[in-house]
Amino acid sequence: MHKIWLICKREYLSRVMKKSFLIMTLVSPLLIVLFYGIIFYFSFNKDLGEDKKLVLVNDATGIFQNQLEAENNISFQYKNLNEEASLEMLKNAEIFGVLNIKKEGEQIQYNLIANEQPGLSTLNGIESKLEKVLKAKKMQDKGIDASLLKEINDISVQISTQKSTDKGLEKSNSGVTTIIGFVGAFLIYFFIFLYGVQVMKGVIEEKTNRIVEVIISSVKPFQLMMGKIVGIAMVGFTQFTIWVVLVAALSGPVSSLVMKMAHVDPSSIAQTTQMSGMPTDELAKTPVKSNASMAILSGLNQLNIPMLLGLFVFYFIGGYLFYGALFAAVGSAVDNETDTQQFMMPITLPLIFSIAISQSIINTPNSDLAIWLSMIPFSSPVIMMVRLPFGVPTSEIIASMACMVLGFIGTVWLAGRIYRIGILTFGKKPSYKDLAKWLFRKS
Amino acid sequence: MIIQIENLYKSYQTHVALKDINLNIQKGSIFGLLGPNGAGKTSLIRILTHITEADSGQILFNGEKLSPNHIYQMGYLPEERGLYKKMTVKDQLLYFAELKGLSNSRAKEKLKYWVDKFDIKSWLDKKVEELSKGMQQKIQFIATVVHEPKLIILDEPFSGFDPINAQILVDEILILKEQGASIIFSTHRMDSVELLCDHIALINKSEKILDGAVNEIRQQFKKNHFEIKYEGTPLINDHNINIVSHKENELVQTDIITSKQFQSNNELIKQLMQYPISLNAFTEKLPTMEEIFIQAVNQKQQSHA
Repeated sequence: MHKIWLICKREYLSRVMKKSFLIMTLVSPLLIVLFYGIIFYFSFNKDLGEDKKLVLVNDATGIFQNQLEAENNISFQYKNLNEEASLEMLKNAEIFGVLNIKKEGEQIQYNLIANEQPGLSTLNGIESKLEKVLKAKKMQDKGIDASLLKEINDISVQISTQKSTDKGLEKSNSGVTTIIGFVGAFLIYFFIFLYGVQVMKGVIEEKTNRIVEVIISSVKPFQLMMGKIVGIAMVGFTQFTIWVVLVAALSGPVSSLVMKMAHVDPSSIAQTTQMSGMPTDELAKTPVKSNASMAILSGLNQLNIPMLLGLFVFYFIGGYLFYGALFAAVGSAVDNETDTQQFMMPITLPLIFSIAISQSIINTPNSDLAIWLSMIPFSSPVIMMVRLPFGVPTSEIIASMACMVLGFIGTVWLAGRIYRIGILTFGKKPSYKDLAKWLFRKS
Repeated sequence: MIIQIENLYKSYQTHVALKDINLNIQKGSIFGLLGPNGAGKTSLIRILTHITEADSGQILFNGEKLSPNHIYQMGYLPEERGLYKKMTVKDQLLYFAELKGLSNSRAKEKLKYWVDKFDIKSWLDKKVEELSKGMQQKIQFIATVVHEPKLIILDEPFSGFDPINAQILVDEILILKEQGASIIFSTHRMDSVELLCDHIALINKSEKILDGAVNEIRQQFKKNHFEIKYEGTPLINDHNINIVSHKENELVQTDIITSKQFQSNNELIKQLMQYPISLNAFTEKLPTMEEIFIQAVNQKQQSHA
């Protein structure tokens, strides 16, 4: 145990004390926050960066006269022009285009002449405005008056859901559970990949530097492997913890800054800050008006956060150990990173598969497929995270956890067998057949 | 005896690495494990250092059956050297010392001893990749002996060393021997250790073909060749002597001769006195390890055939 601890300490310190670790750890949350800040900024200012567009409407039908709604970036002026005159008008830089509308038989023809190819959103915007006017006109023609029309347009339905459990009815919120589940699943996926590959690289480094023979004359291969896996897991935890703290601390100021810049009503953004981990008391300070954000708040309260968090940590560690051991085995079998490809495939495929299929698991969290995938250790860390917020029977959770534990004991054993031979084997790249032989060879 | 090996066998999937090896290595001696590449030297060492296990046979370490705990009393310098390139010299040496069972404070103490000895204080906080190859070799050597092992195993220790550093290494090894350590040298360059080793074993094609004290072996294989330097008429074959080789420069002739009826060195010198030459030097020419090796291999093959 002492040996594993020593190795673990070295793996941990040699990574954490590096400058690049510090930079990565401090800079990435900034980048993440900045990244989301920019996305929010643009999503609340869609027309950002687009010029104001003045469209001249040359309406021969008279239907649209003074009816088209101006928007932030598109405004309309109504003029009767002939073709020559409209071309002449286009030379004026302020005018984006001339929209010619005329009737041919029963059909109305629309034709936009512009100096440049209009963007899809501009075109869609103009089309929807024309359609809106036509629809309103049609309704009025049929005798529906404007106030009734508005009432019809404002109809909106929202289903509130309740879950029947042993403790009675519980309120639930599918939106929040979906997001929490998906974020958890994605974090686990990300963590396994990022640090699993680090384990593999570390093993290859020791092999190519030929340090391994010196160390193997002092410790058992299994100790070396476990020390490395656990040490790197601790690096991951450290980095992850710093990130969570930093993102939580930074997302408050940044989002309020973004809000100021974007001039948006705070209530409409409350929903988004919630996801980025803004503390709830911070949220309470901002005036929350909309029903949607209230629903999310109460939805969060309905979830069993400590249990979710506990299980998240369990699958986080379990999944990492399960895959980390396999990555270590791959690293030990090859001499350099370019040779890892063929062995990486069967390891990465189930991971990618589980994150891909989690989209459909979210829609049917209690299907047979979902239940089976949350039992198999290859996919359970990701799939279980997706399912958990929707509520999973305790018996299933226990079974899945047991499978996970058995799974990683299994892969650690398997990897240990390959590792002990692999780290001292140089030269020819082994085949799967060789690996199978190593498994059963006595030491 | 620090190491006693009896009837040791080891084979891999496709070939036999060691066949019925019997060896005794005396405490406080320098033991040369000689043989060409692929003879089985490294296989034997890996069994001693518990990296692999033998198929059959017995090894005693200090009289006890070899067990994993004994590796803390061994220092092993593998043929393929390796250090963590990104780690500082200090962290690296402390790490290796602690892996070998030293407590942190004891490791620091030992580190200080070697730092003072090699005068490498200024290197301590440097990363290994910043050091020259010769410096790295020194660090590697310190890592091998920092925990005061009773048995030091050096696999091709001089490969990559320049003559100056090789001499430093030899001096250190002799000091360690004086302090009571036993040392195993494994090498295919037989000339490099014959002056250093007390005992040797020659291994070829997974079998031991010869072992014993260096002086005894050389006596055993000597062919009564003598090198003489003299002035005067060149000697020729006669009833007394055979000329094996002859070289001459302006004044001095150098011959390798054998005596036809050899009794003793003195007798031979007396005979030489009767020739019309002025004798400058007379040396008994003992065979080199390489010559012995080739001869022993040939004898073995003949006895098989």
